[in-house]
Amino acid sequence: MALYDNQHWLLSHIRDSFIFTDDTSACEMVMLGEDLPKQLKANGVLDCYPGMEDSDDEDIYAMAESYDIQMDMEFGHRQRSNTAQRLEKMDLERKQAAEIKHVKWENKPSTMSVEIQSELFQRKDFRKKKETKADKRHSLLAEQLEKCPNLPQNPFTDYAKFDGSEHIGTPAKKYRIFMSMLPEEQRMYPMQIVVVATAKVQEFIGLICYKYAAEHPDNPLKADITKYGLYITEDDGEVDWDLPCLDPRETIAKFGFTCLGLKEMTPNDRARHNTVVPKTVRYEENPKGKDIEQKSVAEDMAMMDDHTTAMEAPLYQLYRVHIINKVRAKAEIHLGISGEKIEIDPVITGKGAARFWNRQRAVSYHIDNIAWCELVEHKGPKTTFTLVYTSHANHLEFHTGSSGQTPSLQQSTSFKNHDFEADSATAEEIVRKINHILEIRSGTSRKEYLAQRERKATRRKNFHLHR
Amino acid sequence: MTGDGPPNEQVIFVTGGYDHTIKIWQAHTGICQRTAQHTDSQVNALDITPDKQLVAAAGYQHIRMYDLGSSNPNPVINYDGVAKNVTGLGFQEDGKWMYTGGEDCSARIWDLRSRDLQCQRIFQVSAPVNCVCLHPNQAELIVGDQSGVIHLWDLRSDHNEQLIPEAEASIQDIAIDPEGTHMAAVNNKGSCYIWALSGGVGKEPTKLSPRKKLETHKRYALRCQFSPDSSLLVTTSADQTARVWETTDFTETQILKHEAKRWVWDAAFSADSQYIFTASSDGVARLWNVATGVVEREYQGHQKAITALAFRDEVRVSS
Repeated sequence: MALYDNQHWLLSHIRDSFIFTDDTSACEMVMLGEDLPKQLKANGVLDCYPGMEDSDDEDIYAMAESYDIQMDMEFGHRQRSNTAQRLEKMDLERKQAAEIKHVKWENKPSTMSVEIQSELFQRKDFRKKKETKADKRHSLLAEQLEKCPNLPQNPFTDYAKFDGSEHIGTPAKKYRIFMSMLPEEQRMYPMQIVVVATAKVQEFIGLICYKYAAEHPDNPLKADITKYGLYITEDDGEVDWDLPCLDPRETIAKFGFTCLGLKEMTPNDRARHNTVVPKTVRYEENPKGKDIEQKSVAEDMAMMDDHTTAMEAPLYQLYRVHIINKVRAKAEIHLGISGEKIEIDPVITGKGAARFWNRQRAVSYHIDNIAWCELVEHKGPKTTFTLVYTSHANHLEFHTGSSGQTPSLQQSTSFKNHDFEADSATAEEIVRKINHILEIRSGTSRKEYLAQRERKATRRKNFHLHR
Repeated sequence: MTGDGPPNEQVIFVTGGYDHTIKIWQAHTGICQRTAQHTDSQVNALDITPDKQLVAAAGYQHIRMYDLGSSNPNPVINYDGVAKNVTGLGFQEDGKWMYTGGEDCSARIWDLRSRDLQCQRIFQVSAPVNCVCLHPNQAELIVGDQSGVIHLWDLRSDHNEQLIPEAEASIQDIAIDPEGTHMAAVNNKGSCYIWALSGGVGKEPTKLSPRKKLETHKRYALRCQFSPDSSLLVTTSADQTARVWETTDFTETQILKHEAKRWVWDAAFSADSQYIFTASSDGVARLWNVATGVVEREYQGHQKAITALAFRDEVRVSS
């Protein structure tokens, strides 16, 4: 409470409080003539915070500083203090309690004689059939139900629960409601309706209809209450046409008016509070929203998959594919791919492997020698793909061969390639895997290959331009 | 017509629940006639005194009685001194005493005749009492508890017996038909156990012999009641249905199910056994035609779940 060491402020606050909370306005009469805090300040008796001086010119503004004072719309009505309210409540409770007979449980185990006990807890011979003329097949309830078989059902019963008159503890508000849609002679007197404070305007309209329909079984009310609106009225029930109806979706307690008229919504108001639209919109939106959601989920999943394959790419994996050699003959080989190298091993299958043109040497390439890998063409279920590598001896590493040396840049690189064939899914998987590895490694061969391709492309472009 | 006739010539239908109110309805129209306040507590059980003057409500730490004849929204008698929730209550048929059961692990007898002749009796068990049921001989109280034990308390001799139909299943409700031939008990597994009763008159002790086990519901069972003519049994459950069973062979004859699909907490038969009232978590009580399974009336007005109901009807003299 930084302000409480401000003498000037405290004094002004006390003064303002007196003036504002005194219903008799005697304080104001007395104090208006002399503004003590102002005078004292002017005399230099009171310390004042910087910036305060300017505000003192206007009384109203100075009062605004006294923020504890709530300027109520209803002057002259003073809120009772909490203590007074609590005392009154306790008093009421005491009065109510006095009307209630209290019986407290007492443990009195042996105050009762045996005779009384056996008299009180006498066994009744329930098996003895009573001779009654009563017709067991017909009860009073059944009779009453038969008397009103076609009870005019109140179509607004769903709103009965918003009746606030039957609840203590739940905040409720009382309204005078004019049924402005009725012919003049029937709407002379307003209905007093108490509604729970949390009800929406729409629900309050339902409650009004329920109450009215309960009292007037042959009423002209429409079952669709969205057609009705609540309008602010004068005390005599005259609708104030300048104001729109209360927003049906708002809580009724928000509105301070106690006199309201129920009538059919004007087309203007209906357009404004189009109570039907939100529902249909919601229904339409739902599947769409779901679609979008599913789509985004699917996208996320795809991205996750992609990340997983990328992360798993350097892990060793063996594929069984066909290598297409220079004479277009196919030989089955094992293609081993890891983050370090790519190995090609012939598959030994009896006779076929013996044919010399089919023979494929076991060969291994360091991953830095691999420059490129791409799909070439689809032939039915089969797909061919090509693997581009540098054939330089330094880069090449035979199975039997020595260690992998770092590739030297000064030597001009010539690129060679192997073509493979596999079923489309496998081919795609291999290409994806190798490309992931290459992206991560980004070896010199790859850079060179890409540079060379670009050069070729620009040359071709230039050629086109100069033609 | 209701309310105009002499007090014992009327239909009384009362409901209570989580909204701390007790509502008195005109049964044949569905109109709420009165709302009474049940301050600070939900209503666990309701019953109407045999003279139809008062309705008793079991709540947290007290039993309150409301005058049915006046429009006083406050109770007229308040019974307190009970430690926890009172879960069940009922009356001796002449209104001499009231019996209650509660979560403080005890069943009690409250003397209603006058304040001087207090004959309060207490029966302690080892687990919270979920339900109490009076044998038609008006001298034996059946007490069902949370641990799954059924106690037969002979009020005259103070002798008691126990039986456990199923281990690790709490007894939710017990009922005996007015003719005293069957006893039914439902548990939290949705099973219903039926015993055939014999004896119980004069000095002869009541004998129970297991008759049948019914898988009445898939979930928690909440209430069982026999019809006044002893021909039907109704069971209600958390599985959102009430089911009606024939007592001749205990086969299912009707399922009372509403699209609102909420727990069915309580049920009561009309005096002619043709109709059943149910109380449900959707805040609506319903009147069902047992033969057709059709909802005849709905009672709307409670703001929260209805957990208890009481109904008194009259059998008409045939003309």
